[in-house]
Amino acid sequence: MTPARVFVWCIFQVMSPKIRLQCSDSELGKYVSTWLDEIRLDLPITLDLRLTIVDSAFIPEDNRVPFRQPRVEIRSGPPLRSVGVLWLMGAAHAVIEAKSTEARVSLTTEAAARREELVSTFLHTVLVLLVRRAGWHHLHAATAQDSRGRGWLVAGDARAGKSTMAALLASRGWPVGTDDTAFLARRGEHVVVHAARGRIALRHGGYMLLSQNVGARHERRGKMLCFPEELGAAWLPSVKPDVLLFTRVGDRRSNATAITSREALAELVRWSAWVALEADLAQDHLNLLRDLATQAQGYRVTLGRDLFDDPMRLEELIP
Amino acid sequence: MTSRYTRHPELRLTELEDEGVVLHLGTRKYFSVSESGLIILNALEAACTFEELVALLLDEYDVSPEEAADSVTEFLDRCSASNLLIIEE
Repeated sequence: MTPARVFVWCIFQVMSPKIRLQCSDSELGKYVSTWLDEIRLDLPITLDLRLTIVDSAFIPEDNRVPFRQPRVEIRSGPPLRSVGVLWLMGAAHAVIEAKSTEARVSLTTEAAARREELVSTFLHTVLVLLVRRAGWHHLHAATAQDSRGRGWLVAGDARAGKSTMAALLASRGWPVGTDDTAFLARRGEHVVVHAARGRIALRHGGYMLLSQNVGARHERRGKMLCFPEELGAAWLPSVKPDVLLFTRVGDRRSNATAITSREALAELVRWSAWVALEADLAQDHLNLLRDLATQAQGYRVTLGRDLFDDPMRLEELIP
Repeated sequence: MTSRYTRHPELRLTELEDEGVVLHLGTRKYFSVSESGLIILNALEAACTFEELVALLLDEYDVSPEEAADSVTEFLDRCSASNLLIIEE
């Protein structure tokens, strides 16, 4: 099927020249360009993101078993060599061919009109898959650096206290990179974690712990959003993790238990589920996770009220 | 007829602390295997018979032929149950 529209391509040069954006809708292009500027990914190679508005949803036949993530489905593996991303909230679809550094996105005008949701759910996922071509592999984790220069990585699910800890640590002056979107990469003999710069998203309870009147309310998500800089911290573009925390929130006093590298690797695989996608990239991703598990000391940590009241207690728990 | 075993093409292996970690891209499941299990899975990049795998363990470890055969049998059974192998009869 060929889109009936005659395209006038707009090429947006984002601040980082590493993601070249082309979009056939100027309003959407400006919005996506602003987003790419804001997240500040300093990739080692240039990648292409090409957005095409079509008159009807153009979704190629793909019978592969989907890997489901919130609001998107991802299809990869044989018999095709591409990875496909389908948006479940509107008519949008993306394809990245094996070994290609370009993501081709087709979407309708209606889908393009929902810009904020499109970017935060669908294009975010497309970007996660695209940057794997640059050797960057996504991990659901927060990143920070303590006063001694130790790099911290905090992994866990949406209720694991990552964002609250990241915000509290930022409010105490720790440089913070991200509260959720981290990318593993190799730098020499080490594994480093690059952060997608974004607003730390806090539920009401977490925001109240800050005792600061900063940030902006996001009505749809029902959260308060704050950049690390608004909380008094420097943004941390990348960090070499020395400490890995796998957190959950508990009712009792905070505690930390050191774990082995094997246990840390099992946790990292859990929070970096993309490792199982795309055979060409999976080995590199798995090796990065293994090297990170070896490079840093892992801990399972229960975050109790005491730690939320005094986040600097983290340095006592993990001396 | 002799069976020949190959590891599933969608497996990815890595070594950590003298043990193996196996990721199955098809089922998206993660396994850990012992050092000897990792040796067997590495060998199974190419098709091997049961007897060849037993001989491999006898080369690597100071064990009796019976112990090596039992270990290989148990390992292949477990791998087979988790869809980690291709078996050609």
